[in-house]
Amino acid sequence: MKFFSQSFLYDDNWPIVSLAYFLRYPNPYASHVLSCDVISREHTPSGTLLTTRLILKRGNVPRWFPKQFVSRAESWLVEESEVDPFGKVVKCRTRNLDNLKIMRVEELVEFRQTEANKTLQHTEVRIVSGFGWGLTKRIENYGINKFKANVQRSREGVHLILELLRQSRLQPMGLGGTPIPHLLPAAHVNSPSVPHERRDEASDPPKGAWSRFRSWFSPSSSR
Amino acid sequence: MASSLSPECTPLKTSYDVCFNSWFEGYLEPAVSALQTADRAAYAKANAEEYELKCGKIWQEYKACVHKAIKDNGLEPVLQQAREEHPLATPPSSSEHRKA
Repeated sequence: MKFFSQSFLYDDNWPIVSLAYFLRYPNPYASHVLSCDVISREHTPSGTLLTTRLILKRGNVPRWFPKQFVSRAESWLVEESEVDPFGKVVKCRTRNLDNLKIMRVEELVEFRQTEANKTLQHTEVRIVSGFGWGLTKRIENYGINKFKANVQRSREGVHLILELLRQSRLQPMGLGGTPIPHLLPAAHVNSPSVPHERRDEASDPPKGAWSRFRSWFSPSSSR
Repeated sequence: MASSLSPECTPLKTSYDVCFNSWFEGYLEPAVSALQTADRAAYAKANAEEYELKCGKIWQEYKACVHKAIKDNGLEPVLQQAREEHPLATPPSSSEHRKA
């Protein structure tokens, strides 16, 4: 088994970091994420929120790996999380659902509020392969190195969403409105059956990170 | 790429996400009074009811669509196996949480 762990401190407080984490897909740093669906959600009696999400990611199969064992370069993952707004803790476990015979990856992430009103993220990753064929160690090393190389990217994705949230909160707005695309009613949705409040028109979004994000979302994008 | 595994579910997903995210922002910052344990249960119940009122209907529609897509894609067995191997643990009691 290969193990990796890392802690990181965000300057922002726990509510906004937790929100950014749950909103992290889509973002330009996560173009390999093809879909993300909530498959279950429930409130516990103690007031915490349990969520299960099904995520499809596109992956690359390394050249040295025998292709006949991998049906396609996409992988399903399940993310199970618990949010405790009183204790200010998010716990999240993500693991792969397929290609288990090749490699099992489990990522545990926790976000906790610190005394200085910042947010501490702690990540642990475990990778196990029982593949054999003389490739077990190589698979595990590949997996853990890939994860380490991407951990910075995934943090940048969260940072980008954090920046957008911060900027959107500086603007005066009505209930439930932010200029982030997947927080707004999409143009192609005919009639949302939910009577939530909406602003009449979004005020001009700030430049910089927002324009980059918007351009990534332009209709010409094939995804 | 805020899309669903099935394109026909994507509009429902988007509507649901908008509703949920708006409720979720408020959920993440409970009123200071609710942080007293005695009020927590009542506050939590009110939160859950508000979610149900605002997002319950769209959630049912989205959920039905997604679960059908999961069946159609043959993903039920792998999900079931994942649940059996590692069921989501019962929520930890609040005494386990460190005070910030």
